[in-house]
Amino acid sequence: MSNERGPRIANAIHSLIDHLVPSDAHDDSAEERHDACFQLARSIFERPGSPAISSDVNHASDLIKRKLIASNPSQALRFANLYTRLLSLPVLNQKWAILYLLYQLSDSPDPNEPLPLSPLRQQPASTPAPTAVPDDEAFNDAFAPGGLKKLPPEKSRRGPEEDRSASRADYASPKAVRDVSLKSTLLADNSLEIDPSETALLRDLPFTLQGLSSTTLPFAKETSLRLPPTLPPPIISLLHTLAEPSLLYRGLSTFVKSPAKGLLGQSLRAAISNELRNYLTLVATLEGQIRRALSELDENAPRGGIGKAGVTLKRCVVWTREATMGLRLMSLIAEESNSKQGGQLITLIHGFSNSHGDPVVGAFAERLLADVTRPFYDILRRWIYDGELSDPHLEFFVREQNPNTEDRKETKAKGQASVWNSKYEVVDSMVPSIITADFAQKVFLIGKSLNFIRHSCGDSQWVEAYSKTSSKELRYGDTATLETWIDEAYKTTMQRLMELMTTRFHVFDHLQALKNYILLGQGDFIALLMESLAANLDRPAGAQYRHTLTAQLEHAIRGSNAQYDSDEVLRRLDARMLQLSHGDIGWDCFTLEYKIDAPVDVVVTEWGNRQYLKVFNFLWRIKRVEFALASTWRKCMTGARGVLQTTDDLVLQTWKSTRGVLAEMIHFVGQLQYYILFEVIESSWTELQKNIRKPSCTLDDLITAHTKYLTSITHKGLLGARRRQFQDHHQPSDPTNPHHPEQPSHPSSEDRNSYMIQLSELLRTMLAYRDSVDGLYSWSVSDFTRRQEVDAGVSIDDDGLDGSGGNTGAVKSEFPALQERLRQLGSGFRQRLQILLGDLAYQPDVDMRFLGPVRRKSKAGGSGGGSASAVKA
Amino acid sequence: MPGDERSEKQAAAQQAVDILHEISTILNCHLDRRTLSICISMIENGVNPEALATVVKELRKEGQEAQIESSAATARRR
Repeated sequence: MSNERGPRIANAIHSLIDHLVPSDAHDDSAEERHDACFQLARSIFERPGSPAISSDVNHASDLIKRKLIASNPSQALRFANLYTRLLSLPVLNQKWAILYLLYQLSDSPDPNEPLPLSPLRQQPASTPAPTAVPDDEAFNDAFAPGGLKKLPPEKSRRGPEEDRSASRADYASPKAVRDVSLKSTLLADNSLEIDPSETALLRDLPFTLQGLSSTTLPFAKETSLRLPPTLPPPIISLLHTLAEPSLLYRGLSTFVKSPAKGLLGQSLRAAISNELRNYLTLVATLEGQIRRALSELDENAPRGGIGKAGVTLKRCVVWTREATMGLRLMSLIAEESNSKQGGQLITLIHGFSNSHGDPVVGAFAERLLADVTRPFYDILRRWIYDGELSDPHLEFFVREQNPNTEDRKETKAKGQASVWNSKYEVVDSMVPSIITADFAQKVFLIGKSLNFIRHSCGDSQWVEAYSKTSSKELRYGDTATLETWIDEAYKTTMQRLMELMTTRFHVFDHLQALKNYILLGQGDFIALLMESLAANLDRPAGAQYRHTLTAQLEHAIRGSNAQYDSDEVLRRLDARMLQLSHGDIGWDCFTLEYKIDAPVDVVVTEWGNRQYLKVFNFLWRIKRVEFALASTWRKCMTGARGVLQTTDDLVLQTWKSTRGVLAEMIHFVGQLQYYILFEVIESSWTELQKNIRKPSCTLDDLITAHTKYLTSITHKGLLGARRRQFQDHHQPSDPTNPHHPEQPSHPSSEDRNSYMIQLSELLRTMLAYRDSVDGLYSWSVSDFTRRQEVDAGVSIDDDGLDGSGGNTGAVKSEFPALQERLRQLGSGFRQRLQILLGDLAYQPDVDMRFLGPVRRKSKAGGSGGGSASAVKA
Repeated sequence: MPGDERSEKQAAAQQAVDILHEISTILNCHLDRRTLSICISMIENGVNPEALATVVKELRKEGQEAQIESSAATARRR
């Protein structure tokens, strides 16, 4: 206070007293009171104030704001308003001080209410105020308003403490006379001298907190701090607490400097070093406080006057507590991160942020997560908007497949590998917990599709345009927006991909063509092809030439409705020979082929091609048998009117039964064809159409539907493997089959493809039978010529008769052999057929029973020329 | 013009007192305008706010005691 200001202040005090202490003019005690008050006020002003109060206007307003938020939030806003207005005023130099005054006076009792009549106050109050002064100080010492006010504002936790200390100081005076002051003075007086002194420790503390060795507190090793042995236990325990952040900091700073394994590891280190910087800021503030306090130390006061300085070891412990928790959490994460990478790292931190009970830890981990996930979201963004996997350290949950793993080799061997499903894969363990499994699958599909469009469909322009228009900055935080973005991206990409597949690559046309040509859907074409090739294919396989085959194919195309198909389709149709083995004839080796190239081969895979081929070969054989039987039947029918007429009863009888068996066979083959073409292929085709014409159909759906389509065809078309096991497995639970106990579960010695084998046996038998019938026919023809010759030979010379007589003997002897063979083949065919029908009757698959008999009775009636009718019409 | 400046300053001061009074009402300080303006002028003259707060509190206590005493005295006089 300057001298010039002295009188002004005195005046002010007088007027204040006049105003606050009402006095009756006639009372002379009022005069005394006035004087006493003036003295009191003077003495209070004269006393040096607490030095550590910050003269920052923001600080005082912060205090008030915090108090208001705690007690009356609606007023806080109003205060903030008033405060800004106040700041904008040009007058008043000491705004902070006024605010501080108001803060101190806040919630003070109403002066107009009468004082509660406490016994303490009833005694003559000559000197209550002066005694109150040291008490206040004692309390201020104990609760340290001065020091605490200096803390960085982020330590919001300090607010209530501040309030508490302030409010305690408020009602300190009434209690003051009691032992509180005694105790504090007692403590101050009896404090032990320690070596090194607390001042020295405080001076070194900032270094220790930064992980640097100092004279009093040297670091013994990387992970231990040596405490001076001369200190008393309480100080030691304080230092223990302070050593924790120091050691943690040391550990973390080495961790931060250690080389990272991946991008996420790097970002984790960056995030941690950021946090460490915050910690260092705190340490710096602390150091400033300590310096300031030490410089104001009064050397002569008890305990080196440290009690009054506002900074003690204890306070340092309190101030570093929150930071210690952060450091603890970070060192935990750092330790765990060594064994984890990529998504697992995010999962680890995310685990802290959403399942840890302590909200402080949660918030901290959340903050850390925002930094750590940045590279992850970068990769994600590249993936879902560009379809590129830029992940040099294998941290993303999508990964390029390793061609050498067992799984991969297996699918490759099966022919199911394709660019679509073998290029990338999802690694489940790397999916971070911030993303759900569904979501990850979607992300995977998006990127895969984009990549596919770009590299396999050759449409990188679209991808580039797309990534330019829709690329967005992804970051950790609002999951909902991220999900909508990804859903959007998913929709666009899938739509585009399907569009490309349909319009540019004609997937549906190809599927239709495969059905028409390979699955014999185009009847006129197949009939023509077979007719024109028949003569050719009867020759041995070695005598087949590709050019003749293709010429016949071309002929068949030109001659049938196939000519109206698009070039795109016909170009791919090709006829060729399978690998030939010795003794094969053309029929066994011939095959039609439909060439599929990229990118449609992701739908019709190599495996799919093989299935098509398998079905085609089977159908082709049936067709061939049908064709052969039909031509023989035709021959017999025409022959019956001419050459086959005979009077021999035995021969007539043989021909009759032969025709019966032939009719059975034709019927069976017709039924088999009908079943496969209509019950199996057509129904599966309808199913496929239904699945792939859905608007939401994706390429994956298409692939799945197509695979299902092929599987159902091969399975129901009696070509499927594992029939027996399948049946055994299902039979006990099949309620529609009451006969399963008497149906012995066929031993596994039965071939897995038994239907396939049975059918080919049947077909072979039919061909052999047909050959025999041809033989019988030629015998009959020669017999007929002989008889004619005999009729005519009456007039011819005897030589010829002799020769023909010898002939007759040879021909006669041929007939029983033929008859026997026909009988054998016929009964063999019936037997096989009955076994097949019997097996089919117990099929769990309802569709497959269509081929079998409806009732068991009809199966029994299958013998004796009725077998053909047993084959259900 | 010094006169204008002065009146301007006065208006600003008036406004400041208004704002501060409002704040003090929010904070339940129970200060009337006069006390407030005395306090402001004291602080502008360099008085420690903490000390001033103590003084105000003390003086209030004194005032209350004086009131009690005077009421007691009037009661005795009767």
